[in-house]
Amino acid sequence: MLGMKTRKKSAMLLLTAVMSISLFGCSTNSTAGNAGQSAGEGSTAAAAQPTETAGGKLVLYSAGPQKLADNIVSGFTAKTGIEVEMFQGTTGKILARMEAEKSNPVADVVILASLPSAQALKADGLTLPYPEAANADKLNKDWSDAEGNYFSSSASALGIVYNTKLVSTPPTSWAELATPAWKDAVNIPDPTLSGSALDFITGYLSVNGDQGWDLLDSYKANGVAMAGANQEALDPVITGAKSIVAAGVDYMAYSSKDKGEPLDIIYPEEGTVISPRPAAILKSSPNVENAKAFIDYLLSDEAQKLVADAYLIPGREDIEASNRANLKDIPQLKVDWNWMSEHGDETAARFSEIFK
Amino acid sequence: MKPVVLDNNRIFRRVGVILALFLLTISIGVPLLLIFWQSVYPDGQWDWMAPIRTITGHHLSGVLLNSVWLGICVVAVTTLLALPLAWMMAKTRMGQHRWVDVILMIPFMTPPYIGSMGWILFMQKGGYLQQWVPSAEKWSELFFSFWGMVLIMSLHLFPFLYLLLRDALIRIGGNLEEAGSVHGAPAGYRFRRIILPLLLSSYGMGIMLVFVKTIAEFGTPATFGRRIGYYVMTSEIHKYISSWPIDFGKATSLASVLLSVCLVMWYMQSAMSRKFTYRLVGGKGQRSKRYSLRGGAGWLCGIYLAVLLILSVGIPYFSIIAASTMKLRGAGLSLDNVTLDHYRDLLSWGSVSMKAIGNSLGLSLAASTVAVVIGTGFALAIGKSSSFMQRVIDLFSLLPNTVPGIVMVVGLILFWNSPWMPVTLYNTYGMVVLTYVVLFLPYTVQYVKSSFTQIDGTLFQAGQVFGGKPLYILRRILVPLIIPGMLAGWMMTFTIATRELVGSLLILPPSMQTSATYIFAQFEQGQVSLGMAMAVVTVGMTVLMLLGIELLNSKRKWNAS
Repeated sequence: MLGMKTRKKSAMLLLTAVMSISLFGCSTNSTAGNAGQSAGEGSTAAAAQPTETAGGKLVLYSAGPQKLADNIVSGFTAKTGIEVEMFQGTTGKILARMEAEKSNPVADVVILASLPSAQALKADGLTLPYPEAANADKLNKDWSDAEGNYFSSSASALGIVYNTKLVSTPPTSWAELATPAWKDAVNIPDPTLSGSALDFITGYLSVNGDQGWDLLDSYKANGVAMAGANQEALDPVITGAKSIVAAGVDYMAYSSKDKGEPLDIIYPEEGTVISPRPAAILKSSPNVENAKAFIDYLLSDEAQKLVADAYLIPGREDIEASNRANLKDIPQLKVDWNWMSEHGDETAARFSEIFK
Repeated sequence: MKPVVLDNNRIFRRVGVILALFLLTISIGVPLLLIFWQSVYPDGQWDWMAPIRTITGHHLSGVLLNSVWLGICVVAVTTLLALPLAWMMAKTRMGQHRWVDVILMIPFMTPPYIGSMGWILFMQKGGYLQQWVPSAEKWSELFFSFWGMVLIMSLHLFPFLYLLLRDALIRIGGNLEEAGSVHGAPAGYRFRRIILPLLLSSYGMGIMLVFVKTIAEFGTPATFGRRIGYYVMTSEIHKYISSWPIDFGKATSLASVLLSVCLVMWYMQSAMSRKFTYRLVGGKGQRSKRYSLRGGAGWLCGIYLAVLLILSVGIPYFSIIAASTMKLRGAGLSLDNVTLDHYRDLLSWGSVSMKAIGNSLGLSLAASTVAVVIGTGFALAIGKSSSFMQRVIDLFSLLPNTVPGIVMVVGLILFWNSPWMPVTLYNTYGMVVLTYVVLFLPYTVQYVKSSFTQIDGTLFQAGQVFGGKPLYILRRILVPLIIPGMLAGWMMTFTIATRELVGSLLILPPSMQTSATYIFAQFEQGQVSLGMAMAVVTVGMTVLMLLGIELLNSKRKWNAS
């Protein structure tokens, strides 16, 4: 009977092996089917697995709004015939995935939602410079790397997002959120989860020095709650459990507002931080040519229009959005990105310490 | 203790044990070792102090105590919820309503963060309860406390304990109690001296798993816990793994603390269970006694069940369904704000969401089937954990349940994606199946083990005496007796695999989604309604499937004796 058991076990092992092989086959087909509408070009599905032939595929890790990423990917595939496999997640998840795959990387291009993370990738020598990228000269200089290690193809501004049902006279300055009128009614995204919130806090501190912490201390004293990533901070404001998000990303507010939710956004007059969203080619990329083609597409007029349609600020200075406040209309703080990049970790740690 | 199975097959038994050990080593042991290696070998140099520094350097003792205290409270509350229910369903006429079992699985099928979201949406300021009953404003926010969190987690986990206890109670049968009653023992005494000791081994196993699941749980702490400022170990670990700067070393150090707590629990449980395991399923026929409930007692049981169902399914699902059918989330509960658009988007043929559902079903079917086959093998190899090797297998096959899922998954990635690995499993469908199998193996092992250890060895000897060949004994005695355990394990694995999130987020090949990652992505993208609709669809499908199985199963009408 036990002999039976071992025989059963080895048969089962074999079965497992066979099963995983056949499933492997399935996955090849399904990924080819997933990748965009242009099924015509998808006939090379068999070659789409880890072979190193150009013209085949591109692996993209993208943070930020999924609709935009989907549109860009299908536009890119329609134009070049290159299949794109995309992993969609927050900046933190993408970095975690890259770390886990460190010894055997698969990604070609990453799009992150935080400039300091891209600067860190560059400092660690993980990025592949591509200074010849088409239209790179039209990008906002402050947000992209002069050596072509990363390109900020879009950006969001941080503002005070409020529920119009609950708030009739919105606050006009950051300091006002610390007044009794807004006691226990304000959310702020967690800077360890939201790259843009971290950009705001470090940006504010880079301008105001150590006195900047006074504002955050007064926030805490006024019952400002640290609430997960951007969307988690925003959702209670939509449903009316909270009235305001401090340092909320604007594109989420604009798109919800257009849907009809009772939301609006205001940029405080003393200025705010713009959080660019950099894309970079990884040095370990198995499909360098495709990756370069993707960056070129990302900076093209077509893709930049898609960015504008997604309520984001286009990375190229010559393209404007019609559905939101443009860069020139948003009061900005004179932030110091180098300082921000260096002090990100300690700031996030101190912030969590205060707000826990 | 005598080994139950035939002594003349000792060599085969050895081989089975060794094979089990080998499988466990490559699927669980090595990945965890790699994790540990990362924590003591950060930045390419040997630093065995690193984990200890991490642990002392963070206000860890408080967080650890939070985790343990939460675990203890959840165990207490799940016991209060599950024990009376298990008794009702095993010993009274209510047990005939098999559909209750399937309904009771719903909380367990619901992704924990969705369940917590449901409660939050219901109880928060301006939430559904306050929209409904404005006077609730005074007290509903009191729910946002430690005990609210305990309640949410208990309501999520109690079905698990309930299933274990109910099966154990059914196996105890009526004879023993009747014997007690013949000798004049009153009900309380019978419960204390007969049922309780016989139940203890299953209960020990159940509460250990509940405890471990609680302290390894991430969804509720991440949603509800963060809101009330109650931080536990998993939230800290997750912080190091998913937010910049990524530090696997620190995460693994914290994970090893969590692991040690779980190991202590496991040791206590296994000592207790070795002392209190009895052979209940013997050769003699058995019939279970069922009390008929009349009058007050019947009403009491009915009300208890109703309240439990409202709390565990009614309230969360009211919120989830309400959120999934809203045009505007800012407009609140009202009839002109109702729409089925989200469901239409979700179920349109060929959409991303349909593919995600298909992926989920396929992966869960594959994973649960493989897990049942392997898990049954392991459970039989463990036997009554009489030898040291068997206890090692027992421990190993329990590990995935004691390590937070995310740690286990990182270990699997490190192992299967290493450059020297000859097979490229990473980034394929197979890898996902492997991950699910590894993560959920403990369920099958525990369920089958719990059926197997209660079979009296004399049954096999009887089979042999009457000339049964090993294959025949296996087919006619062993398998029928452990099938309920296997089926429970299969259902459990399938159920949890359809909602598995943490591992899927990290391990799915790019451009592949399951329903859980789809839901999560919708939340991240601000499409809460779409995410909630997906949760309803997925859980609905799982329920239908389980109901189908239950129906097939009840046609067979076969009892564990």
